[in-house]
Amino acid sequence: MAWFTDRHCFLLAVTFYGLSTIYSVFLWRKGFRRDDWVNYFLIAAGVVLHTLAMTKRGLTLHSCPVNNLYEATTFLLWALGLASLVYSLLPRFKFLAAFTAPVLFTVGVFALMPSLDPPRGPKPEFSGALRSLHAATSLQAYGAFGLAAVAAGMFLMQRHDLKAHKLRAMLSLLPSIQRLELITFRLVAVGFVLLTIGLAAGSQLPRHEGKPYLSDSKVIWSALLWLVYLESLVAYKLFGRTSRRFALGAIIAFAVLLLTFWVTNIYSPLHNQ
Amino acid sequence: MSVVVIGLSHRSSPVELRERFAFAGETIPHALAALRENLATEAVILSTCNRVEIYAVTTLAPDTAFAELKKFLVTHHAYDGALGDELYSFAEPHSLHHLFKVASGLDSMVIGETEIFGQLKAAYELAFTHKHTGARLNKTFQRAFNVAKHIRTETNIQRGSVSVMSAAVELAEKIFSSLAEHEVLVIGAGETSEKTARALLSRGARGVVVTNRSPERATALAAELGGRAVPFEQWPDEFAKIDIAISSTAATEHILNRATLEPLMKRRKHRPLLLIDIAVPRDIEPAVSELDNVYLYNVDDLQSIAADYLKLRQEEVARCEQIIGEKVAALLAANRYSATDSHR
Repeated sequence: MAWFTDRHCFLLAVTFYGLSTIYSVFLWRKGFRRDDWVNYFLIAAGVVLHTLAMTKRGLTLHSCPVNNLYEATTFLLWALGLASLVYSLLPRFKFLAAFTAPVLFTVGVFALMPSLDPPRGPKPEFSGALRSLHAATSLQAYGAFGLAAVAAGMFLMQRHDLKAHKLRAMLSLLPSIQRLELITFRLVAVGFVLLTIGLAAGSQLPRHEGKPYLSDSKVIWSALLWLVYLESLVAYKLFGRTSRRFALGAIIAFAVLLLTFWVTNIYSPLHNQ
Repeated sequence: MSVVVIGLSHRSSPVELRERFAFAGETIPHALAALRENLATEAVILSTCNRVEIYAVTTLAPDTAFAELKKFLVTHHAYDGALGDELYSFAEPHSLHHLFKVASGLDSMVIGETEIFGQLKAAYELAFTHKHTGARLNKTFQRAFNVAKHIRTETNIQRGSVSVMSAAVELAEKIFSSLAEHEVLVIGAGETSEKTARALLSRGARGVVVTNRSPERATALAAELGGRAVPFEQWPDEFAKIDIAISSTAATEHILNRATLEPLMKRRKHRPLLLIDIAVPRDIEPAVSELDNVYLYNVDDLQSIAADYLKLRQEEVARCEQIIGEKVAALLAANRYSATDSHR
């Protein structure tokens, strides 16, 4: 079984995410009327294989597998997939998997590009408990932001259908919009706390060739991201930002996060050792 | 021996005739006893506002049984008018098919309604308690109840709100996590708004505030609903506390418009607000629905939801009929098997 690497395992996981995406299209077309576990189990199968892939890689490296773009991306997706499984157990949240599956699948396919996972020496340069904490909490934060964006998408869809008096809003088995709004807020708040811990842990790491942290693209990007989410939370909680704007903000911020994550990583000497 | 049914319902006869043949609850045991004296070995009488039916197990040939049952109904109610197609009668297997349809709400005025299930169960239990049922009707009725439950879970026949009141409640549940945290404001103490407020309270709404141009009427309705009354001029002040407003005044102009609601929404910190406008002419300016977190539904919107649901239910009828057909066939096969077995 030596030929069966962690990447094969991840490929299988992405296949399950793909099947879930296809199934989600049917659920969407039917207006989320029938509540079933098919999608949940497809994502669960994907997450099990995904966990296996990460465990295999972690055992090979003897550290948390977050040392290159492939590993960072798979870690992010794993956090998103796992959180989606947990939240799907809440009443009327089973359809969360249907909204998460397309993100897991598309980003998963992207992560499988060989250039993101270059061959390395026997021992990674990137190691140590503090670095693992920094990487793991930051990526879990991105996972929480991802799930918040998914919940925000569900919120906006339900809101639109209710405003437009569409029967789909009544027939669907999605949660109430007030509940979706609360979940979106909580996920953004959890992500923000995790990102804060991740950045705080990162600030204690040794500097690259004595350069200040704020000259690194990834650090600047992370600080901006932290500020964006802080502004969003403060505006929503203290200055009466409407739920629609908050939800839109959660989706846009995560879309920007996904689109710029790899670019800033590539141009970051600190994260591209 | 077979199960036969004779009766009249909202489909076959007007209410004037149905009420002539209705059985008062306390007279049913005597009527059942009379039926069993010379007509049937087992019997159940179902008498509701929409139907009067006798289900009987008899050794008589169906045509003779129908004639005798008709005579019984006419004599029992001292009816001297003419009777034609108003009275329907079925022998097996159609009698079983009819009973399963009735139990599932497929023969009801509002397709898929569940009240008939309870009424049928009560009718059966009354006959059972007075020992007017036996093996045949016990098995048939139990099977009918099982089929109704099966149809309820496997199809969408009972899904959704088919009245304005229930549509309003369902809407509220699509917006708010739990009605227990939300208060309802009733503007104008009309009948529909009262019923809608009652429906919301029955689903757990925290309380109700009533306002009306006539303060006496507001106070009376508030007392009836267990809420509080506020003067008509002060109802906008309540918007900071309430989350659902039902409006049904006789005003000829909008009593709530966008310009009034916008600052009120700020005071509410943009919490979701469900506005149900059941007044004609409308009380609430349609433009308020452009405001964030405001969900406005008028009487046409609610009626349209109810009509769409009804259409969906009608689309499910074919599926239900198929299930009933299969279940009737299975029951008849089981009855044949029991009969063969008992002859061995």
